[in-house]
Amino acid sequence: MRAALADATARRGAFVAQMIVMVLNDLVWVAFWVLFFRRVNDLRGWDVELMMLLQATLTTAGGLALGLTGNARRVGSMAVEGRLDPILGLPTPTLGHLLLRRIDPIHLGDVAFGAVLFAVVGRPTPGRVAVFVAVVFAAMVVTVGFLVATGSLAFFTGRSEPGDVAFNALILLGSYPVDVFSGMAKVLMFTVVPAVFVAAVPARLVSDFTAGNALAMFAAAVAFAALGSATFHFGLRRYTSGAVFTTG
Amino acid sequence: MTATMRLVGVAARTSARRALADRGGMLISATFYLVIVANLAGLWRVAARGNGGEIAGYSAAALSWYVAMSEVGTVAVSGRLIEDTGRAIGAGDIAVELLRPARPVIVRIASETGRTLIRMAVLAGCGLVLTALLVGAPPNLATLPVLAVSLVLAVAVNVTAMHLFAASAFWLRDAGMAWFLYQKFVLVTGGVLLPLEILPRWLRTVADVLPFRAIGYAPGRLAAGHFEPWLVAQQAAWVVVLVALAAVAFAGGESRLQVVGG
Repeated sequence: MRAALADATARRGAFVAQMIVMVLNDLVWVAFWVLFFRRVNDLRGWDVELMMLLQATLTTAGGLALGLTGNARRVGSMAVEGRLDPILGLPTPTLGHLLLRRIDPIHLGDVAFGAVLFAVVGRPTPGRVAVFVAVVFAAMVVTVGFLVATGSLAFFTGRSEPGDVAFNALILLGSYPVDVFSGMAKVLMFTVVPAVFVAAVPARLVSDFTAGNALAMFAAAVAFAALGSATFHFGLRRYTSGAVFTTG
Repeated sequence: MTATMRLVGVAARTSARRALADRGGMLISATFYLVIVANLAGLWRVAARGNGGEIAGYSAAALSWYVAMSEVGTVAVSGRLIEDTGRAIGAGDIAVELLRPARPVIVRIASETGRTLIRMAVLAGCGLVLTALLVGAPPNLATLPVLAVSLVLAVAVNVTAMHLFAASAFWLRDAGMAWFLYQKFVLVTGGVLLPLEILPRWLRTVADVLPFRAIGYAPGRLAAGHFEPWLVAQQAAWVVVLVALAAVAFAGGESRLQVVGG
């Protein structure tokens, strides 16, 4: 991970520029929700403050997942293109090494933005900060586990697109207040695409902590970490080398 | 017919055929589009119902139709177009295209428009079916013929404006920043995230003088039931202006490319 960080920060100008780009990107979404709630005071229990908490947890957790484990969303394409070869020969756990060998600095801008947003609108107290850190870590685990699991489907299907669609669906669905959805869509967001555990549930826990929600959050993190690891290692048995050189 | 027009026609037709053959890519685009529309439309419907039935003059159903059609012009166009074009410029690949008997930017715009129109038709069809299932028929059926023209022009404006922004790579060697700026302009001042009526007055004024409203707001507004044909006239005018600006930008950049590349 030290090597990955040194690589990402080797060009400091580009590193800082990419972080600024992502911060500005996040600001557009904050502006969207602020404008939205200027017209709509309440959305099934969601107001602008809770929405900002959701944005803070989503950007921080998503930024950590995509920034520190930059290969999490590339598992599918690496499997299809035979770019796992150099990792398989190393005396380290394959999945761990794969995830930590690449840092995407642009997403670290998300982390900075999310932390600042929480500090500004999250009414931070020691207790709330502790809950924020814990749920962000759990949401990060859910995100990485889900990305690895869906990316690993490429071992079985030979195509990486399902992983890309799953990633976009997770981020997109996670950006909205969960109570807007109902019926089957809501069930899907708690199970197949665990978007609520990446944003809505963590935000609710910060604003109104309950043991039940905390337990569900913890269980989701464990479940998706296990699912990602199992799918990857089961799929890896089907991996056939592309015999290509790579910088993965 | 001149050689240039033939080349442009062949480029557009070939790209359209490629788009038709790429069923996997089409399926992914359609899936992504439907997820976006279902979410945004659901959000606005809930918001409108909790807000006395309408927001900024749009009913819940009108907002759903607005979202469905305003997204078509953006999702149909490749999100990587600016970066890919910028990469071709930065790497000097575009120098080969100067050998053709037509301006590279015109051929590129024709080729991308041909590809995108096929995708646009599929997405618009998906959007029509989904939105009709969700909220019923469009608020004003009389706007549909105008809407069809508006969608084509929205795609043309988007593709052309993307090439104009990508031309910055002639000077900067990379169009990554241009893509980022462009995306934000389209989302906010193009009326893709929100109908322009919801923006603060100062931002609405800015949006009204920029071309991006031709991409999202014009088809969205028509689909929401407002019979305002002048929106289409504005879109057509922007296509002409943007093609001219893109041609000028590429011509300036190409002369610079010859100096740098030798």
